[in-house]
Amino acid sequence: MDTLAKLQILSGAARYDASCASSGSKREASVGGIGNTSQSGICHSWSDDGRCISLLKILLSNDCRYDCAYCVNRSSNAVERASFTAREVVDLTLEFYRRNYIEGLFLSSAVMQSPDVTMDRMVKVVETLRQEEQFGGYIHLKIIPGCSSDLVRKAGLYADRISVNIELPSQVSLQRLAPQKHKNAILEPMALIGREITSSLVERKADRRAPRFAPAGQSTQMIIGASPENDFQILRLSQGLYKKMHLKRVYYSAYVPVCEDNRLPVLASPPLLREHRLYQADWLLRFYGFSAEEILSDDLPFLDETFDPKTAWALRHPEFFPVEINRADYATLLRVPGIGVTSAKRIIAARRFSAITPEGMKRIGVVMKRAKYFITSSGRTFEKSLVGTPALVRQQLLLGDATATLPPRQLVFPGFSL
Amino acid sequence: MKATKRYLYDGTADGLFSAISWILEEEADPENVVLAEREQTLFEDGLFINTDSIQAEQLFSRLRNRASDAAYTLYLFMLAEKEGMESSLLHYISLVYRYGDTVSGYLTHPAVRDIVSIAKKAGRELHRMKGLLRFEKLQDGAYLAKMEPDHNIIQPLASYFRTRLRAQHWFLYDVKRRTAARWSNGVLQFGTIEQFITPALSEDEKKVQLLWQTFFKTIAIADRKNPRLQKSNMPMKYWKYLTEKQGE
Repeated sequence: MDTLAKLQILSGAARYDASCASSGSKREASVGGIGNTSQSGICHSWSDDGRCISLLKILLSNDCRYDCAYCVNRSSNAVERASFTAREVVDLTLEFYRRNYIEGLFLSSAVMQSPDVTMDRMVKVVETLRQEEQFGGYIHLKIIPGCSSDLVRKAGLYADRISVNIELPSQVSLQRLAPQKHKNAILEPMALIGREITSSLVERKADRRAPRFAPAGQSTQMIIGASPENDFQILRLSQGLYKKMHLKRVYYSAYVPVCEDNRLPVLASPPLLREHRLYQADWLLRFYGFSAEEILSDDLPFLDETFDPKTAWALRHPEFFPVEINRADYATLLRVPGIGVTSAKRIIAARRFSAITPEGMKRIGVVMKRAKYFITSSGRTFEKSLVGTPALVRQQLLLGDATATLPPRQLVFPGFSL
Repeated sequence: MKATKRYLYDGTADGLFSAISWILEEEADPENVVLAEREQTLFEDGLFINTDSIQAEQLFSRLRNRASDAAYTLYLFMLAEKEGMESSLLHYISLVYRYGDTVSGYLTHPAVRDIVSIAKKAGRELHRMKGLLRFEKLQDGAYLAKMEPDHNIIQPLASYFRTRLRAQHWFLYDVKRRTAARWSNGVLQFGTIEQFITPALSEDEKKVQLLWQTFFKTIAIADRKNPRLQKSNMPMKYWKYLTEKQGE
């Protein structure tokens, strides 16, 4: 089989991995070598589904001995199988990189003979890239659960980012849909990676030549909608991963039916809106100072489809509003629907020069569509009769939404994390 | 309120910055000054300021020392090649003198907003082109990338690629402006091109392009097709030179 045919099979099989980030790592190009990385990450193209293409995202092999219900590569599925040689992956990466198609390589794989054999081959690929070819571009390497901790350590020394997929939000679902995968085999390498990252950071403080371990951190991914967990369970899981395991990102992937299996739900279409709302809530966890328990509860276990999670929170908490934009601190401004990190920073920077008027809010680029119901400027309200009346605000927001565009169908995967 | 004063300069970048430097030294209230390019008409109203490139250079180095972020904003602003913005520029620089780097947050001021928003657009396109530029391998082993950016970004783009692709020979060519950058044997040069002759591609080039086009097609999830999102992230004006968008 030639490289083109393999590429078709093995990139097609990799498309369900959500992450495409190339950010969080800064490496200078070596003399005589090729490539560097940029802190902010760079998108090189956007595919027909609108997602950013930053890395050559491929599987080393799709020849899997596992039989996970949701996966297109499961052993009982009759798809064509292929495996790259290390040289083929190295050459593809370099040829694409020289033409500026990509920021680097994202290498994952199906489980071939065993987790160790598979992981060993994957590590060989990145070892060749880094050592022989002096490749300085971005590398994201997937860890195969169950492989030895030596291989995990090696992977972290060559890759910018490494990730272990958590796959499903609970042990029960994992057992039902992916019986050959075990929770511990997933969580153990995650914890190991977390420890190695921390100790590498400590060592590098003492000695700047100490080796870097996965400088862009670790991430994970879970499938949404293939199993019965509610959004509250999912958000609490993510919160734990961020707080206890220090993950950089948790990716959510709307379940796309790729094979028939009576253990799987029948969906009319992938739950893209749910995925989008989860990402919004995830942002609230990471950048807005919210906790999972503020966003959802046992009585309210699913995210609102009509309103984004912050607006939904604001409508439940009229006592918090209105917020005075000329006095409120950063954390308080961030709680206003429609005011994001950029707007909050701009408000704080601008009000050092003079008080911000309603006109001024527009000038500094704050979108007022939602914010206007929740703020005052020097004591004056924007929508006088509505402040403090959640029912009316709710109605007004809905009316406003009806004339505006439909809610976004899916999230943009930026090539950079904020 | 005092009457507005009007000054003129010769239309060059040096002229512009030496005029601004002169006004900032001589005028107590630069906010009440209008600066414009001289037009060769009989009734042109205003005082002409002579060009002094040393003074222009001094203004820039003073800005770099005083407020490096604001100096970078000005650098990006100049890449936009916008005309008729002289007064905004003057007012912006006078505010930089007063407030330093924090001035970029003073977005309620119209001059700051004008300069910062234009600079931001130039910066955005520069960042975008770092991803969207496509090289083709030529017969002699060198690589060539053509582009038609809105902003004149060839210089910062070339210095970006000089570190990233330091081991290969390459050219950047701005088709609209007829300017080119050349990186060869550790030397970066800029120049203009009178007549561009399309060079022959290397033998394996089409094969690699086909690999990339194939990857581009298969990596998309068909159930999630979203051309609107694709176009908003990657405007069609850039498609002309994108390997993966040839023939669309």
